[in-house]
Amino acid sequence: MRGLKSKRVLITGGASGIGAATAARFLEEGSAVCILDRDAEARQKIQRALPGLAAALDADVSVLKQVQAAFADAIRLMGGIDVLVNNAGISIRHNFLDITPEEWDKVIAVNLTGVFYVAQTAARHMMERGSGVILQTASTNGVMGYPFYADYNATKAGVIELTKSMALELAPNVRVCAVAPGYVLTPMQRAEYTDAMLEEVNRKIPLRRHAQPEEIAALFAFLASDDAQNMTGHVYTCDGGETAGGLASR
Amino acid sequence: MQLSGKVALITGGASGIGRATARLFAREGAAIVLADVNVDAGKRVADEIAQSGGRAFFEPADVTRAADCRQLVERAVREFGRIDILFNNAGIIRRATVLDLSEDDWDRVMAVNVKAIYLLSREVIPHMQKAGGGTIVNTASGWGLAGGAKAAVYCASKGAVVLLTKAMAIDHGPQNIRVNCICPGDTDTGMLREEARQLGDENSRFLAESAKRPLGRIGTPEEIARAALYLASDASSFVTGTALVVDGGGLAGSL
Repeated sequence: MRGLKSKRVLITGGASGIGAATAARFLEEGSAVCILDRDAEARQKIQRALPGLAAALDADVSVLKQVQAAFADAIRLMGGIDVLVNNAGISIRHNFLDITPEEWDKVIAVNLTGVFYVAQTAARHMMERGSGVILQTASTNGVMGYPFYADYNATKAGVIELTKSMALELAPNVRVCAVAPGYVLTPMQRAEYTDAMLEEVNRKIPLRRHAQPEEIAALFAFLASDDAQNMTGHVYTCDGGETAGGLASR
Repeated sequence: MQLSGKVALITGGASGIGRATARLFAREGAAIVLADVNVDAGKRVADEIAQSGGRAFFEPADVTRAADCRQLVERAVREFGRIDILFNNAGIIRRATVLDLSEDDWDRVMAVNVKAIYLLSREVIPHMQKAGGGTIVNTASGWGLAGGAKAAVYCASKGAVVLLTKAMAIDHGPQNIRVNCICPGDTDTGMLREEARQLGDENSRFLAESAKRPLGRIGTPEEIARAALYLASDASSFVTGTALVVDGGGLAGSL
């Protein structure tokens, strides 16, 4: 991808899944990469796997002070941030009728408030410098309805609208795009589904399979690159055709 | 090089987005089959690619005619052995309300912008199926997602392209054929100037108006070509049935 060499990239939720694959991809492109994650074990693991990382920083994105401290560290270590991959997120599988106020608050805190804290901190830094790219992990769950994830889906729809509004206010200096992955084989996904459930889902996807995290990483790399210089304010889908239409309705 | 060893068939390849894409795909290692009704300009693009060390030929074709599509695909397969990438890009515009639009113009726009995708895809897909996969990229438009003034048939045609793309993605995904479309905003091409002419608008005023979007400028054909490269290459291996908007934020919302 054009123009990623020596770009300085910060990735939240970067120690596992899509975030980790994206960190690996940007390193491969010659970028400097800091990841931010609150999972200490996962941070150690990714530092071993990706020794080229500038740092694996500890922060809970739902705590503003921790976000600000991690950004200060990342900026000190890399000299600035050109690309933010605002990716940290959680999900809980539960019936809408059973969602507790605590569960609701927890999902909103990470997926929406956390995304806002990270986005605003990055945007202030980038606007001061005059340029940058902010990419945010939404989901096909932010576009269509899915049972058992009402809270998660609401946050992802929120991320999409946040993305569009940020794009309008930060243009033309900073581009802001959202990525909507469909079903991806991440640890989060594996933990929630049995093999039979995975197979059932694959049947509903035109490409008949889940995405590899590397395939979502490729979309982040493209959107961050100079190849996407005229792309801002939209959500870009990578879902094997899942949301092109309902295969279930055949 | 992202397209080494691939063969790409590009319609509307004589100018604008098609020409920029042909040049970019050739630089990325693809052999190029260019189709267009504009013979002189089409030949020039093919010659230019060949002169800079690429593989390309031009085939005159009106992609609204089934016989032309069949011939085009036959020659492409004869010369290059396969088709990995189909870029259905040929398109025309008529800037008019339904009251001002002639029936001939309605039919012509729908034929070039929509029917041609059907006619050509049905020739190409069997070859992709035999080869174990392929990727189809259609040029839709921001006006396939939102309406615009005095562009009734163009909006109708591009809306059709978006949903034709999704329907084809569902049908052919299981055969590892990905189908996506690009939705460019106003792009610096001959067609944009043609719009100004049709509207009786002054060129510079029209272009300045077109640039009123978050990034403050119109797109370049090369920027749309790079989006086409993303969709044509393995970088997008799990992406199908999508409409990739490349419009400087034009449709993100109200400024």
